[in-house]
Amino acid sequence: MPPETPQNAGYMIAAYVVAPVILVGYLVSLWGRVKRTLDRK
Amino acid sequence: MTASEARARAIILPGLGISLVALLALAGVYVLALGYTPVEARQGLAQKIFYLHVPAAWSAMISFSLVGITSALYLWLHDPRLDRFAAASAEVGVAFSAVMLTTGPIWAKPIWGTWWTWDARLTLTLFLFFLFIGYLALRASVHDPAERARFSAVVGILGMLLVPFIHLSVYLFRTLHPQPVVLKPSAPSMPPEMLRTLLVSTVVFTLLYIGLVTLRYGLAVAEDARDEAPDAA
Repeated sequence: MPPETPQNAGYMIAAYVVAPVILVGYLVSLWGRVKRTLDRK
Repeated sequence: MTASEARARAIILPGLGISLVALLALAGVYVLALGYTPVEARQGLAQKIFYLHVPAAWSAMISFSLVGITSALYLWLHDPRLDRFAAASAEVGVAFSAVMLTTGPIWAKPIWGTWWTWDARLTLTLFLFFLFIGYLALRASVHDPAERARFSAVVGILGMLLVPFIHLSVYLFRTLHPQPVVLKPSAPSMPPEMLRTLLVSTVVFTLLYIGLVTLRYGLAVAEDARDEAPDAA
């Protein structure tokens, strides 16, 4: 990495944490709704 | 188990399976992005946000485009399966938009020096996100299925019309947002390692879209089966 390359790993880490949290969170919430709907029969 | 419930389960289980496989593949994208692609000299490690932001935007735009197409087909054919698909795709599109609208500002802060700017691309994308939040709120507030499908189809078509405009907005207006590096008339302008990682990530996000939309469609089938059951209230 050239010496003038900006040191901004924190932003990358933040994005790499936020994205799966949203996607896995949505999948878990969707699965919860599926379970409740199927169990209510 | 009724036939409708069996049909719902036959859709739900593959949807869940595809979603889980896609999430595992996303871990592979992380390995590629962090270990295989070079560090961009001017942007540093923040550039690697690109491998999540762009595929999330792709999946969101595919989601909303398919909402519009299936909504138009619903108004023509009145097939409830098209309405169910549109609703599923809209909800999944909102989830991908949330990824796009959070990873974008996280990239923008170190590169532009600001989290957000009200230029055409960003403003229109935020408007599209709120439009589909409104679409989901509309669906939740109208109880007659035919009326709900008709009203939401109109909103879905209007939302789809924004998608090509958002793609072209970087050419039509002065904007800070980078111009397309892959979806443009000339050849992609990036090193092959970056391009390969971006393409793999795009395939993984598309697979995740397929899995989530299948699961959400199966939920809609299960809800309809529950509402049609003889002992339903």
